[in-house]
Formats: sequence, C-alpha cells, structure tokens
Amino acid sequence: MSEDILSLIKENVVQGRINQEDEGMEEGMEGKPAVTELVQKALDDGIDVQKIINDGLTSGMDIVGQKFEKKEYYIPDMLASAEAVGAAMEMLEPHLAKNGIEPKGKIIVATVKGDLHDIGKNIVTILLRGAGYLVKDLGNDIDDQTIVDAVKKEQPQFLGLSALLTSTMTHMRAIVQSLKDAGIRDKVKVIVGGAPVSEQFAKDIGADGFGADGFQAVSVIDSLNS
Amino acid sequence: MSVARKGLPGGSYKPLSDEAIGKIHRTAMRIIEEIGFQVNSQDAQQYFEQIGATIDKEKRIVRLPQKTVIELIEKAPSEFTLCGSDEKNDIHLGGSRVYTGTGGTALYVYEPDRDEKRPASLNDLKKIAKLVDGLDNIHLLLLPTYPNELPVDQIDVNRFYAGLNNTGKHIMGGVYTLEGIKNVIKMAEIIAGGKQQLRKRPIISMIACSMSPLKLDEHYADMMIAIAKSGIPLVCPAEPLCGATSPITIAGNVLMQTVDSLMGVMLTQIVNPGTPVIFGSVATSTDLRDLKYLAGSVEMGLTNAGSAQMAQFYKLPFYATGGMTDSKVLDSQSGYESAITNLLCALAGSNFIHDSAGLMEFAMTVCLEKYVIDNEILGMVMRAVDGIKVDDETLAFDLIKQVGPAGNFVTAKHTRRHMRSEHYEPTLTDRNLREDWEAEGGKTTWERAKVKVKQIIENNDYGLPEEVKNKVLSEIPDIVH
Repeated sequence: MSEDILSLIKENVVQGRINQEDEGMEEGMEGKPAVTELVQKALDDGIDVQKIINDGLTSGMDIVGQKFEKKEYYIPDMLASAEAVGAAMEMLEPHLAKNGIEPKGKIIVATVKGDLHDIGKNIVTILLRGAGYLVKDLGNDIDDQTIVDAVKKEQPQFLGLSALLTSTMTHMRAIVQSLKDAGIRDKVKVIVGGAPVSEQFAKDIGADGFGADGFQAVSVIDSLNS
Repeated sequence: MSVARKGLPGGSYKPLSDEAIGKIHRTAMRIIEEIGFQVNSQDAQQYFEQIGATIDKEKRIVRLPQKTVIELIEKAPSEFTLCGSDEKNDIHLGGSRVYTGTGGTALYVYEPDRDEKRPASLNDLKKIAKLVDGLDNIHLLLLPTYPNELPVDQIDVNRFYAGLNNTGKHIMGGVYTLEGIKNVIKMAEIIAGGKQQLRKRPIISMIACSMSPLKLDEHYADMMIAIAKSGIPLVCPAEPLCGATSPITIAGNVLMQTVDSLMGVMLTQIVNPGTPVIFGSVATSTDLRDLKYLAGSVEMGLTNAGSAQMAQFYKLPFYATGGMTDSKVLDSQSGYESAITNLLCALAGSNFIHDSAGLMEFAMTVCLEKYVIDNEILGMVMRAVDGIKVDDETLAFDLIKQVGPAGNFVTAKHTRRHMRSEHYEPTLTDRNLREDWEAEGGKTTWERAKVKVKQIIENNDYGLPEEVKNKVLSEIPDIVH
C-alpha cells in the first residue's frame, strides 16, 4: 500500500501536478488526486516522512531532471514539477521538525545590481526548495552591500548570484571581494549563474561553483554540501 | 534600368482578420483600464497623473480609460520622415510602406574566415557604417554594435558620430545616458546646420524601450521623456517573449506588444504632443529549454506581421524586428531564418524592419559578410513586396500576337524594356554552371560576400565636411577620433 502511494506521488511529480484540478502532461489526469492530496494521504496513513521525500518527491524530480536533460521536458514542465515538490515540502515541514530532520542547507539568492532579469534566479530558487533547501530570495537589482549584509545576518552556507547582462556580471566579482574584505569569505560558498556567466568566469572571480542551468545549480550545491 | 526598391506598399500578407484586430484592440484597452501598468519613474508618473490617470502610488500602477488612450494615440503623427544627410536616403514612414535597416545592439563581431567571434569595437562600427552606406537594399543605419572599449558615458556620442561620419543614411540608435542624449542632439544640430534644421530634417532618431510585461523602467522612461521633449523622433519598442514575458500564444504576444509599446507612445504624447513616435516590436519566442531569446524563429515573423497590422489599425508608424538568425556561422540556417522573418515582416507592410541585416546568434553578434548576404535577401524580399503589376503593357497581348505560336521573346524590345525592373537582379547570388563557378574559384556565398565587403568599404569616401567635423570635435566632448 505504502509503495503504491509513493509511486503515485512520484508519478505526479513527473506529471507536474500540484492538486487534483491540474491537467498534467497526459490526457485524462484532471480530477485525480495529485501531489498535495497524495502527500496528505501518505501522512494520514502514517508513512515515514523521510520515505515520502526520498521515494516519492526526490525520485520523481530525478526523472524530471533526466527528461529535461534528454530535451523531452521544457522549463515550464520542470517548474511545474518543482512547484509540486515545493508545495509538498511545505506540508512536510512541521513533520520534519518534529522528527528532528533539518533542511539540507540555507541559501541566499539574488540577482545583482542593475539587472532586472529574475526568471533564472526564480527557477533556481524553486528547484532548490524542491531539493530540500531553505532559500531566502533577496530579489533583483540588489546592490552589493545589501547582499553582503544579508550574508552576515543570515549566515547561510551558500550564496547564489544571478546576472543576465555582461554589464552587470562584474558585480559578482565585487561581491566576492567584499565578502573577503568583511572577513566572511570562508563562511559561505558562492555559486554564480546566468546567461553570460561561464565556468571560467566563475573561476576567475574566485566563486566556488557555477550552474549552467537550474538542475546543474542544484547538483553543484549538493556536491559542495556533502 | 535596375531598380533599388524602397518604400513600396506592403500589406498583402494579413495574418490577422479585421475581427481579430478588433478583439486584440479591445483586450488591450481592457488591460490598460483594468490591470494597468507599472511606471517606475517619478517624472513619468506625474505626466500620467496630469492627464487624469488613476495611480496606485504604492504599487506604482497607472490605469487609464480607453477614451484617454485613444486621444493620446491620435495626437501622434501617422506619417513622418526619417531623413538622411542626403535627401535621396529619406524614409517616409507610415501607411504600409516598407523600409529596412540594421539593428543591434550586438556585443561581438564574427569573422567567418577565422571562424572566430571577438568583442566589437568602435572601429567595427565605423566599418559597418561605411558598408551599409554602399548596400542599396538597407535603407537606414541603426547603430548595430556596442564599442566594448569605451566607458558608458562616452558611448552615445561616439556611436552616433561613427554613424554620421561614415554614411549619408539616416542614423537611429539606442541610447545609454541622459547626458549622452543631450550631446548627441547637440552634435546632430551642428551637422544639420542648426536647432530648427534638425527638427525639420531629423537625421537622427533614438530608441527607448518599455519592459514587458506592463512595465516602464525608471531609467528608460526618463530617457523617453528627455527624447520626447527634444522633438527628435523616437521608437518605443516592446520585447514580449512567448511563454516568458507574454502568454505562450502568438495572439497573447501581439496583445502584450501592443499594450507595452502603447505605454511609451502615450507617455511621449503627454510630454510633447505630436512627437514623432514609432510603435515598435522586438517580440519573439523563447527557447523554453533555457529561456534564450530566439532571433530566427518563424513565430517571430508571424508576431511582427501581426503587430504591423495593429500599427496600421492605430495609424502609427511601425518598427518591426526580423531578418536575424540564431546560427553561429554563415550556413543554410543563417540564410533561411533571415529570409523567412524578413519576408513575413515585409509582406505585412512593416514600415521599418529593424535588425534586417547583419545579425546572428541571438542578436548578440554581427558579421560584415552577413550584411552583404542579407542585402541580397532584402532585395529579393522587396521584389516580392512589389507584387505583380497587371495592365495592357505587362500582359502584352500585341506582342504575343506579333511573336505568335512557337516564336520567342528574347529579341523583343518589350523584354529589354522590362527585364531589369520586372526581375530582381542579384548582386551576390551564384547562377553559374558548375564549370564556370569552379573556374571562378568555387566560392561559397560568404566568400563572395567577403570580396564585396572589401570593395564597398575601400571605395566609400563618405565623410562629414572638414569644417563640420572640426566644429563637432571641438564642441562635443569625448569623441575618440
């Protein structure tokens, strides 16, 4: 029984259905219970929270990642799945705390000063939340000092910086330098991303990691986190 | 005589029915009235307040009733002229007349012989201006590159000077600072021979964008205000992207472009009623695998053709976007994407197709050889716009009677009279037999284009008169000469 419901959760994550009104990818799914209803049922049935996360949500997201990799899924497909996982994680949060399970890590994300493009950063935020991280999103067009201050105050393990313009990506270098000047560079790992950003650029400015797309951002953070 | 075609009426291609145009218009008015748009400039907010807009100060949302929107649109001129330094280069915007031009603003230059791209410099911009001056099917120079070596406060004057000093065609360009706008206008006044002369014959025009969806950014709105006050023609383009900054549907995108460009059009007419303003579209689709801006999709042609019809409905001159490619090299894709999007825009009667030559790779890169290739595409496109003329002379009954069954038309005077005007004469296309093509070096399209690039640039001796040049250099700061 527990396996059935977990595989249904997984299947619905792949379909990107949050609740029963959602259409999903395939025909005829409307009206059937989706991720949030199924997770509620799993909780009611007393299924282990960690099992719901691992065998339902995370394994569903793994399949989504593969489909995205194979170019079968577009970004809106991936976001629908990640949002379903995010909604489920919100429901599971009180149970996680009760069972003494901590979030995987704390991350601050921001689009740098002068840059109004926040779609990329929002995608990464949704995916990170779906992957079990606690994410604080500072927004877009955020000046260097505000970001450094937030790192001091929130003490996250990770700082994710996004830029779409070649003219604004230079702020990333300045922020890494400001973290050094403030003496907190070794307290936080800096991950950069966005259309003009490359692996080489990340190295040049002394960042810890680079994500070419949302999934890569999550896997880079996962590997730096372990 | 061979003919250079420009300003011919398009409009034979109509992807929108009259009913569809009406429905898009009514929905656009409903958006402006019910949802409103965000205005992030204090000055712009005050202008909208002056004409009685409802303003939610906290959320910076401006809402206007349909009646006011229509009144403002009606204040904008339906027709005006973008002048060249030389009158033969004038562009009479309006109706369904079709003109083409370059576009930007690209950061890189691709060099096909080295198969390499590198950052664009001011020198590249000068070379492109010289090249475009010699390409008949490109009617206007929109400053296509960003000189990476210059600080931002020197960009505006240097870009416009590079254009004005190297071609007699009209110069349009994006602008980056308020100080830059002021100095560029001052420079153009010197070149035009005075303040009034420049307003009478505007040899420059500027571009200030709105942000899709439904947002006027602070800096750009302030620049729109400054340009409108100056009386220089300007474009207010919007760049909705299907599935990212507009609905995924083509209709939803045309709708978003309509509203977003009208925000700018309205602001200019409040600031300075009668300002020559161009309704603009940079609308396209996105790659929904990574949200890249797509420059060569057929949907881009389709949306821009639809927006051309909306512009004709509002009786506003239209700035379309077409003619680019996402290819990284000069291959088949670079040709077919440029051709299809240019053709759809032109047949729909877009007044000015911007980006129509030279751009590749998501509009980030220009290539000199591609300007020459696109000049050929545009020549063919303009021939298609020209359509089929039917009258006694073209039907030639008397001639057919004279030639009779089993005769031929090769020696007919009628053939010589019409052969150069009725048929597009290629300037780049290869129509040789294989042996002849091989004998001439077996060159591919871009290799032939490369030869022309060199010829045109070397033979171009256009330049501002010495005394004008000296006056500009002494009165305008920061020009790198």
